[in-house]
Order: sequence, then structure tokens, then C-alpha cells
Amino acid sequence: MRVAVVGAGLAGLTAAARLTEAGAEVTVLEARDRVGGRTHGIEVAPGSWADAGAAYLGDRHTRLTELMSELDLKATPTGMVGDSRFELGHGADTRHGRFPPLNAVALGDLFDRLADVTATIRADAPWLTPDAAALDATTAAEWLENGLPHPDARLFFPLFLGEMMAADPADVSVLHMAFYLRSGGGIRYLNAFEGGAQQDRVDGGAHQICERLAVNLDVRLGQPVRSIESTDGGVTVTTDSGPHRADAVVVAIPPVLADAIDIRPRPAVPRSTERTAPGCAVKVHIIYPAPLWRDHGLSGWSVNAYGPLLSTVDDSPTDGPGVLTGFVTGTEAHRFAALPAAERRAAAVAQADRLFPFLPEPIGFHVTDWVGDEFSRGCYAALFGPGDWTRLGPTLTERHHRVHWAGTETSTEFFGLMEGAIRSGHRVAAEILTLY
Amino acid sequence: MNVDGVIVIFRRVLEIDEITADSDFFELGGDSLLATRVLSGVARTTGVELSFDDFLLAPTPDALAKRIGAAE
Repeated sequence: MRVAVVGAGLAGLTAAARLTEAGAEVTVLEARDRVGGRTHGIEVAPGSWADAGAAYLGDRHTRLTELMSELDLKATPTGMVGDSRFELGHGADTRHGRFPPLNAVALGDLFDRLADVTATIRADAPWLTPDAAALDATTAAEWLENGLPHPDARLFFPLFLGEMMAADPADVSVLHMAFYLRSGGGIRYLNAFEGGAQQDRVDGGAHQICERLAVNLDVRLGQPVRSIESTDGGVTVTTDSGPHRADAVVVAIPPVLADAIDIRPRPAVPRSTERTAPGCAVKVHIIYPAPLWRDHGLSGWSVNAYGPLLSTVDDSPTDGPGVLTGFVTGTEAHRFAALPAAERRAAAVAQADRLFPFLPEPIGFHVTDWVGDEFSRGCYAALFGPGDWTRLGPTLTERHHRVHWAGTETSTEFFGLMEGAIRSGHRVAAEILTLY
Repeated sequence: MNVDGVIVIFRRVLEIDEITADSDFFELGGDSLLATRVLSGVARTTGVELSFDDFLLAPTPDALAKRIGAAE
């Protein structure tokens, strides 16, 4: 059996590895000149890497953990020792722990309502949730507007959704928001570092997973796929350098990019709609000689009402320089990404200096703009807008002739995360091995 | 609100049934996010709005009920 895989991210390469193991002849076609998709490493100092894309994992991410162990990769804890900093509209505050100095009762009301709506979701098929039609017709922004009047809840909600799912509340339906939070393990798990989804990082960088997977696979770089044609006898996958014949093809790229491929026969239902938005994440890495905030009893964690850095976290590699990672999410991501490079740097460094006034001039500065990235079109994942789940959900994993779908957006478990991508790769490999 | 009322809120938020008057919320896996849900539950039932720091100093149903009683 011959299989073509479109996309050398975690989903595509996981599927390719499984299929190869089972004896299939697999060719992976990758548009970029690198593997990894939305995992990407930046060498911030000789031998020290930071994650420009997906970075974190927790103990419920069992497939990822198994894969890392097969590839001889280790997890390293995301240290969160020390106090936090907050810029929430009245100067910078230092607080013990990660709790922002906002009205606790108002935030509790917000989290209670989020937990309630999250609990109603049918996790394996969100479009079949009892109240799906109503939940899918409303945006998260409208949901907030209608039920949570306290200014502190309104201030914090966009920051929370930005952190959890790189979403502007106006972009996602309530159904997608609640599904995403449910799929990732619930609001407590998704939000937590220790004991949660941000407990660990991949030692040396998450990009190594795909790099190591690719070693034993036939991966062709710089090959964006233009068309896919299924016939009774096989499938032809065409790139700018020519056609590849196979028995089946795995399309393991984000939904908006899958829709840009000329697929014949044409699927009755697309992979995305005009309401499907890119995950709005720009990641900033500011490099210092050492993680100096630790000497001041600070963890590097901050949450801020004004950008560009809506949150910061200490991502310093062991025995390496100090890496302060800033997350620019939601509408702020679009604004920041549009600035000239010098202004982006000035704004981000100025904010880091306000939060951590003792910091010296940085020794390195990196911006990774996923929103504008032509081969990802957003990060962490596609954001399903109003109506999307109702329309796209039922065919999310349904093969179309010889075309099979993978990618974190096709996984109802851990949607949007590395774990979801890997699970989708396993699912699609099993599907093909059963059918052909 | 009496101790039993606080225990009910702890159970709902922590999703753990085995809660007694002396159970420490933070030792049972409670974090700051879940703590705010306890405080909002208390406020909805009693009208008493406690702060996060109040809860840190009174993290058991027994201690929290006393603190609520003092504020009522």
C-alpha cells in the first residue's frame, strides 16, 4: 500500500510513522523547508532552544508522553517558583501565586459559569450537545455580555480565553469555547501549570519530536500540495514538482489550508467556513543573560490587561540564558503583528522592563507570528466561529473518497494541543490500515 | 452558612465527595481558580464577599464557616 501524507507536523508524521511500521510505503509532502508544523524551535543561545510554537504538556497527555519516550526525549518541569506580577490597569502589582488582584467573587462567577457550560458539552460530538444550536449561534463575547456584568470578569475573560485557546471572544461560538475547554481537560486542568496542561516542556524543545520522527521517513520539503484527485484506482497528489500516486492520502494540515487544496471530487462539506478564524497567537521571546527575576523572588509569570505581552512566563532552558516568553493573543495579536519590527521590540521590551524593572538590555529578541504564517494560518488552532460546529462537526473525521483527515482540529480529545494532533495521527493510520 | 453548607460547595468545586469539616481545600487539589468558585458560591448563598486572602487563612469548611459567620 502507498500512502501520501500532506503536512509534516505532529499529526502527519505520527500517522506516517504508524503506517510505515505497518508496512505501508509512505511519502510525506511538506510545504515548508522544515518539519514540525506548529512546533518550532529557536536557538536562543548556542545549544539552548526555546519553543516558538507548541510547548507545554501535562500528565494527561499520554500519547505525547509515550511518543517522547519512544524518541528518547525527556520532559522538564515548567518552573513556577516565586511571586507573580500583574499590570491590570493601576500600575504593576506583585502577588504570591498566580491569582490576579481582581475581585475573587466576580472571577468565581465567571469560572462557575464556564464550568457549567463546559459540563453540558458532549465531548465526543459537540454538535450533538443538547443545547448545541443555541450555543453555536452565540459568540463567547455575547455570552459574557449577557451574563457577567462585573468589570473584573469582563477584564479577565478575554485574557483567559487568549491564554487558554488564543481566541478573541468575538471569534468563537460558545459551543466551541466550551468544547475546547472540555476537550483539554476542563478549565482547572487547562489553566494549571503544576498538575495541569502546562506542567512540563520538552527538554531541548518540542520541535525535536518531529525532527526525530522524520529521520526514518520519506519527507519531501518545500512541496506545497496544490491538488488531490481520487479515482477508483487510486489518488493523485500534485505539488509544483509533479504528481504522486498513492492508494490513500492523509491531509494533516489546518482546516483553512486544507480548503485551499483543489480536491476532486469536491467535498460536499468544506473543512472551514468564512467564520472559522485563525488562532490568534504571536509568541515573543526576550532573552537575558540569566533568569534574573528568580533572584528577586519572582517567577517570571505575569498577567496584563494591556499588551503587547498579555502574559509572560519563564521558559528558560536548563543551564541556558534567561528566556522570558510573552504571549500576545486575541485582537492584540493582530495589532502587534502589524507593527514594524523596531516598534514591536520597543513595546515588548518596555513592558518587560515595567514588569521586571531590574532587567538589563536583552541579549536576544524573537517574534513568531503564527497568525500571518502562510503554512499555519494561526496557532494554537483554528477557531470555530458561530455555526461552524453544526456545519463542520459531523464530517470532521469522515473520509472523502481516498482522502483522510488528520490534524489537531480533527481530534475531539485535546483539540488544539500536541496531544490532539498525535491522537488524530493514530486514528487516521488505523482507519487507513483497516480500509486498504 | 454552616459547615455543612461549605462542605457542599467544596464537594461541587473539587468534585471530591470525601470532604470533612477539617479538609484543607488547597491540600485536596484546590488552586486559585477553584478557590474563586468557592468564594462566588459563598457570596451567592450568603451575600458575604470574602477575598482570596481570607480563604487562604481559612482553607477548611470549619474555618471558612466561622469567617462567614463573623461577616454575616
